This record gives sequence, structure tokens and C-alpha cells, in this order.
Amino acid sequence: MTRNKIILSFAAVLCASFPALAEIDLSGSWAAINHEDALERGGGPYPDDWAGLPFNEAGRAKALSFSQSTISMPERICWFQTQWHIAAGPFSLRMWAVPDPITGRVQAWMIGAWETRAPMTIWMDGRPHPGKNAPHDQTGFTTGVWNGNELIATTTHLKTGYIRRNGAASSDQATITTHFLRHGDMLTVALFMDDPVYLTEPYILTRSYNLSTNPVAIGGPPCIVGDEGVEPGRVPHYLPGKNPYTDEMTKRYGIPEEAEMGGAQTMYPEYRDKIKDKFKLPAKCTLNCGNNAGGN
Amino acid sequence: MKRKLFVLTFAGVSFLGVRAYAHHSFASTYLEDQKVTVEADVVQFLYRNPHSFLQLESKDDKGKTITWAVEWGAGGQLGSQGVQKDTLRIGDHVVVQGQPGRDPEAHRLRMINIKRPSDGWTWKGNFD
Repeated sequence: MTRNKIILSFAAVLCASFPALAEIDLSGSWAAINHEDALERGGGPYPDDWAGLPFNEAGRAKALSFSQSTISMPERICWFQTQWHIAAGPFSLRMWAVPDPITGRVQAWMIGAWETRAPMTIWMDGRPHPGKNAPHDQTGFTTGVWNGNELIATTTHLKTGYIRRNGAASSDQATITTHFLRHGDMLTVALFMDDPVYLTEPYILTRSYNLSTNPVAIGGPPCIVGDEGVEPGRVPHYLPGKNPYTDEMTKRYGIPEEAEMGGAQTMYPEYRDKIKDKFKLPAKCTLNCGNNAGGN
Repeated sequence: MKRKLFVLTFAGVSFLGVRAYAHHSFASTYLEDQKVTVEADVVQFLYRNPHSFLQLESKDDKGKTITWAVEWGAGGQLGSQGVQKDTLRIGDHVVVQGQPGRDPEAHRLRMINIKRPSDGWTWKGNFD
């Protein structure tokens, strides 16, 4: 009897020590391959480049009211971006598992912070998301489940944030669903932004990473508030119809204004056919012609 | 050789994935195809990450003081180019050329080059 108990206990310990077969290890330093959306993730997009964003009218109006000087207000300089910044920013990922000290099971997956983004804790222990009236912040609250070899993380309880660094916004009702897919030494991260306030359809971006032996820094240097030219008390903005930079993509790259103003249809390849007669290829590209991530 | 250097540099940047990163968009903040020149005195040099800022003061035509905020590279980036936190001191008279900000009330520039006539010290370059 005692022997049977020992065998059973040993088997239970063995089972508890190993993850379900479908789970895979995501830990390590994942170096970003910044080959996509170079201007958006590097030097930053033009003030009127909202092509490919599934805006509704509220989303477009909010973006049109945005002045870049808003985030130079002293109280906003060191704001964290939301977790969507994994998609919009250029940085690499450092991931590790946090084991439960008693069972050894993975209690959470962690993604280290950047200088502009809080760490993401992906709770794997089945805990529920907080109630709808719980506080929201830029970090949000994230839980994860395995779907075969794919980790799917769901983030809620976010504050409003930017989905593109030119004023395109997400609301505090947004949900980010992040899919982590490992292929050997490569990691693909696909992020879905669902936002009933500013978007009509999910906005989807994918990012790729290479496993690296060079440790990815966690946190980065601290942000220090300084004078960026906006005096305390002024709130930079554009009133409706007063944004002076709504035709820059048209003038510079010949892109029709209706395309740069975004909307779900601008996400799809067939939209090119719709505007092909309105697009005029510039004689020469003079600025931000795709030669590096830094912009010029 | 030049191509090799470019490829190696690009690979290095991509691999490390660590670099200065402005919290705002340059293309949205500055008129990147324009240049203005400002002659002014240094009132503060904030040598920091993600980007350094140089505060300058000059007078307009009516004698009113204008404060300029000049955005520059990250501390680490500038350090590797020979610019240290004490390279510029309060009161230094400098000539700065930069890309003007889109918000005219902000009196903001993105640094292209800077010269200190008193000793001929100069810096010019690009940063992201």
C-alpha cells in the first residue's frame, strides 16, 4: 500500500513538473527584425498618415485633433505607451517564465519593460480579469492560454493610448489579443487591436524576432522630464477643421487624401484598384524614401 | 567597402535592437525639408535619454526673449560622438541650424548642426 502511494506520488510530481505537451518555451532574448513599417516604428509617421487604420469617424476626429506637441507637455513626456507599443515600437523582447513556488507550474509569462512601455505580465494560472469598474492603466491586465504551440494573451483594462504615433488612438475599452508563435529560433508575434470606440474592425500587426544570445535590456534608461518647448498650462491641439497637415502625404507621395484618412477599406489590397486613377507617382522621392529605419 | 559597412551597420542595429527612440514622431513634429538658423545663448543642456534637449534664448525683432527647445541625440549616442554633458555650458553663445517644429508656438528645432564661435567647436550629424 505504502509502495503504491509512493509510486502514485512520484507520478503526480512528474506530471506536475512538465508542461502539457503542446506548450513550448518562449524564454529568452528575442531581437526585433525591424524590416516592416520602418518609418512608423523608427523616426515616426507623417501627421496625416492614417492609411490602413480601420478608423470610425470618432477615431478619425480624435486623430485630426492631435498635435505632436501634446506629448511634449511636461506631465506627458514620460507617459508609458500601452502594450500596443510592442507592435508600434522598434524594440526587442525579453521573455521569461515565472514558476509557482509550490507546484513549479508556469504561473505567468513576463515580457520585460522598455523605456517607453511597462512590463507585460501574462497570467497563466486561470485567474479572471478584474471587474469592469477596476482601474485602468497603460499596462493593462493580461491573461494567457495555450492553443497548441501558440500562446494567446488577452489584455484589457488599458488606458487610452496611441496605435500609431501621429494621434491615432485606442480607447480605454480596447482589447489587445497577442499571439506568440515560435518557429525554432524565430518568433512571430501577431497583435489584434479591438476597440469599439475608435475602430470598426480589428487592427492587426505582426512582428518578427530572432532568438539572440545577446541579452535584451529590460527597462532601459529612465525618462527624465525636461522642457520640450511647451510651456506648462498650454494644451496643444487642433480644433475640428483646423489641422493644417491633412494633405502632406498627397503633396509628397501623391497618395489621395481619402486613402491617408484611413478607414477599414484602406487595409485591404483591393483598395489599390479603387484609387489607382487618383494616385500620381511623384517624379522623385525626396524624403523618407525607405532607406533606413531612422527616417531620413 | 561602403556597402559592406552599411550592411554591417544595419545588421548591428537590427540585431541589437537597442537604440534611442523618441516618444514622438519626427515626421509629425518637424518640417523635415526645411532649415532655420538660430543664434542664441545656452540656458540649459538636458543630456538624457531618449533624446537630449538644448534650451537656448534669443531676442526677437522687438527685443522679446524667445526660448528655443532643440532636440538632439540620446546621451549615449552623443557621448560616442564626443559630446559630453559638460561640453556646453550655460551662457555659451551658439549658432544652431535645425529643422523647425510644426507647432510654431513651441519654438522647437531638431538639431542638424551647432557651432560655438568662441572656440570654433562644432557638431553636425544625424540621430534617430
